[in-house]
Amino acid sequence: MVPPSPPARSAAGAPAPGGEEGAAPSVRPSRWAVLTWLGRVFHGLTLAVTIGVVGLVAAFAYFLFAGAWQSIAYFGLGFLTSDTWDGVHNIYGAGPAIAGTLITSALALVIAVPIALGVAIFLSELAPAFLRRPLIYVVDLSAAVPSVVYGFWAYIVLVPLMRMSIEPALSSFAGGHSPIGQPGTGYDIFTATIVLAVMIIPTIAAISREALRAVPRIQREAALGLGATRWESTRLGVLRSARSGIAAAVILGLGRALGETIAVTMVIGNIYILPGTLFSAGSTLASWIVDNFTEATPGIQRSAVIELAVILLAITVAVNVIARLLLRRMAEREAGGSSTRRRLRTTHAHTGLASGTGTGPVDPAAPGVGNREAVASRFAARLRTRQAVQWTFVVVASLCVVAAIAPFASVLYTAAQYGGSEVIRPSFYTAVAPLGCNPAPGVTCQAGGIGPYLQGSLIMLGLAALISVPVGLLGGIYLSEYGRNRFGRAVSFLADVMTGVPTVILAVFVFALFLYFDHFAALSAISGGFALGVLMLPITIRSSEEAFRSVSPALRESALALGFPKHRVTVRIVLGSSRSAVVTGLLLAASRAAGDTATVLLCAGGSTLWFQGLNTPTGSIPVFIYDNFGSNYANLQAAAWGAALVLLAIMLAIGLGARLAVRSKYDPTQAV
Amino acid sequence: MPQVKMETKGLNAWYGRRQALFDVSLDVPDGEVTAIIGPSGCGKTTFLRCLNRMHEETPGARTEGTILLDGENLGRQNVVQVRCRVGMVFQKPTPFPHMSIYDNVAAGLRLLGVRGRGELDRGVVEALQLAGLWDEVEENIDAAGTSLSGGQQQRLCIARALAVRPEVLLMDEPCSSLDPIATDKIEKLVQGLKRRVTIVIVTHNLAQATRVSDATAFFYLGKLVEVGSTHQMFESPREKLTENYVTGRFG
Ligand SMILES: Nc1ncnc2c1ncn2[C@@H]1O[C@H](COP(=O)(O)OP(=O)(O)OP(=O)(O)O)[C@@H](O)[C@H]1O
Ligand SMILES: [Mg+2]
Repeated sequence: MVPPSPPARSAAGAPAPGGEEGAAPSVRPSRWAVLTWLGRVFHGLTLAVTIGVVGLVAAFAYFLFAGAWQSIAYFGLGFLTSDTWDGVHNIYGAGPAIAGTLITSALALVIAVPIALGVAIFLSELAPAFLRRPLIYVVDLSAAVPSVVYGFWAYIVLVPLMRMSIEPALSSFAGGHSPIGQPGTGYDIFTATIVLAVMIIPTIAAISREALRAVPRIQREAALGLGATRWESTRLGVLRSARSGIAAAVILGLGRALGETIAVTMVIGNIYILPGTLFSAGSTLASWIVDNFTEATPGIQRSAVIELAVILLAITVAVNVIARLLLRRMAEREAGGSSTRRRLRTTHAHTGLASGTGTGPVDPAAPGVGNREAVASRFAARLRTRQAVQWTFVVVASLCVVAAIAPFASVLYTAAQYGGSEVIRPSFYTAVAPLGCNPAPGVTCQAGGIGPYLQGSLIMLGLAALISVPVGLLGGIYLSEYGRNRFGRAVSFLADVMTGVPTVILAVFVFALFLYFDHFAALSAISGGFALGVLMLPITIRSSEEAFRSVSPALRESALALGFPKHRVTVRIVLGSSRSAVVTGLLLAASRAAGDTATVLLCAGGSTLWFQGLNTPTGSIPVFIYDNFGSNYANLQAAAWGAALVLLAIMLAIGLGARLAVRSKYDPTQAV
Repeated sequence: MPQVKMETKGLNAWYGRRQALFDVSLDVPDGEVTAIIGPSGCGKTTFLRCLNRMHEETPGARTEGTILLDGENLGRQNVVQVRCRVGMVFQKPTPFPHMSIYDNVAAGLRLLGVRGRGELDRGVVEALQLAGLWDEVEENIDAAGTSLSGGQQQRLCIARALAVRPEVLLMDEPCSSLDPIATDKIEKLVQGLKRRVTIVIVTHNLAQATRVSDATAFFYLGKLVEVGSTHQMFESPREKLTENYVTGRFG
């Protein structure tokens, strides 16, 4: 007997009543049983995928520690302070790299925070309506410029500027004394600091702006209504309320600076000494990893490099933990102590003010603030100062905006100047890279192109999408539809933390993973694609979770009330109506992956040839730029700029398209 | 007749293209309470916000016509000064979060440059007494302003506005989010305060208007329909529209 169908009108996903449950396997399953079964399979699938993601993070931690263990055990704590990196005697230490990382990041923060705050305040409080939108786009887009492009720009524009004018000027201003020092080559701590500042300003500005916008308008008006100038109302009504959001922005910026890899590597000089002055070359944890990982001999040397990655990971995580503790304290802090109360008691007694009548006899002619004439004269005396402050505020904030977007404008201009003629040539996209050559009388340089690199990038991005899109979608569905519990929140948090992990550490992990399983080469298209997939994964999970969550509960409920089982509501209604937000999130993740250099450099290596197979080293656009940014040959430099322009075009297209399509609340380009 | 404290002449106000006030000419008598009544969306808030030039803070908003304060043109004066002289209390209580009760009240004084502790203390205590809040907060003056009840928060905002000794106090439905007891306290407060400060109060509650105000103005669709003494407006309105409204036939 086929059991009768139970009423379809039931909370979907709930297990069917026992009778049908037991009967289903022995006879032909009813449609209802099939649906229930499907629902369970679907739930199970999303849960399994989510658990898999957690497993991946666990593997991440395990492989890093396992890889570093030899070095940790051998060098002990002395590793942290030793300033030796001696490949002949196999003695290694992290001192210079740690010092370089901390110094550059701290200084970059000192420069970036005031400017970024100025930008955020200008955008949220001062900008006229016609400027606001375009400026916001520009700031958001400059946060999405790939690190390798900023590094290339710094190499071409910033380093000469530092060497020729800024460093000599600063040095003579300071009399050549430490910590400024004698002017250097331009490849030094100071230049790296400036590049970092340039890169984190948009990040901090964008997130701070969101924090400022979140302050209700009424709070600004409350201050204005009290006779505050714009600046005073910003200070009283807005900044105080937004400070935890601003703190979060600053900390995210710090995280990004600490882990920034390629751009720093390109300008810091990469020598392993404790930097004595601002203008001496140095290195950071990330730059030293990139520079030494691939060539490191297996054994203690490679283990030491991996230990650097572990240290970098520990610092990034520590920064986040400190930040969170700080935020919590801030929220809990109560206003003031009891000193005012005691003081007021005395005041009260002395002035002999009647209390409690509400309209107590206060002599309007009495001296002090109570007196209207006194208020008026005070007002007149202070007004000029207050207005001067207000004008300074406007000017400073505007200058901050100029300072923040000038580098971005310069990047675009430089790329167009050197690479513009390349990208309009169709063969640029199909030809192999040219032989290095400088134009001279009687010499015709071969034009060439970036065909194999473009191909490699596309193949690896395809592989990355193959991993991160399905996993990201299923994980996102789990988190938004089933995971409203402690486990789900923990996974969300974990994914957020993972978006903040420097990509160079992800690359070290994937390399170690591939070495361990030894099935595919650790330096191959498949390894590079996997690394990009790992990079995209947390972004795709979180952005699709946010997209699904934003589907209105009313829509879900009306579908459920129609008798749709939960998994079909999810697939049809939730997926369907959040399609554009989901696609946007995926595209933004892809654009981050397309521009990332550290992962493909360490995991796929480079190759000038057309694609040779999944298991062989494969070139990519960022690696092409990285390999040729310092080339002495004009045509190779031009090709590298052309490649940079291609990356920029991809970022701009995806960034602009995404922002026009949906203003997504969770914007991965703004995180790290 | 008392002196005129504020006066609008042919006041028009826009939000972008949309006109919200049409040719409003109204006198606000000195030392009295003027109530503004009218159905939702008729421009009461807009009118009130014009009186301390808060309207111009709304993006895209503009005004035409003149507003006089003691016979001086508001538009020619420094906007910061205008808002010192014409204080404002909003519909929802707006204490500055992250500031203690004391600091909330002292905020306006500090803007004026009052730094001396004794002077600040005196100003704060006075203002809190005027707002009838002193007894309730004396013991926890250092607690956050947002830790008070809704009615107390609203009186805190009144104290904050009073601390700088404004000549006019604008109140936009100050009781709409409060319970009857808190409302009663504020109404008493309004009546007690009018000796010191001219008050313009927007209210949806007609009974409240009769309880607290001396004069009443009735707005409809952005126009001032009628203004007169509260007694006259509720007992023998000149306009049919006013009569319909005050007798509850629409709105
Ligand atoms: N910020 C704004 N932008 C555009 N139009 C607005 C804005 N604020 C108010 N308006 C319009 O102006 C008109 C008057 O609004 P106002 O807020 O002054 O009415 P109100 O009488 O205070 O109403 P309520 O009793 O509901 O508070 C309304 O039609 C409203 O739609
Ligand atoms: Mg209103």
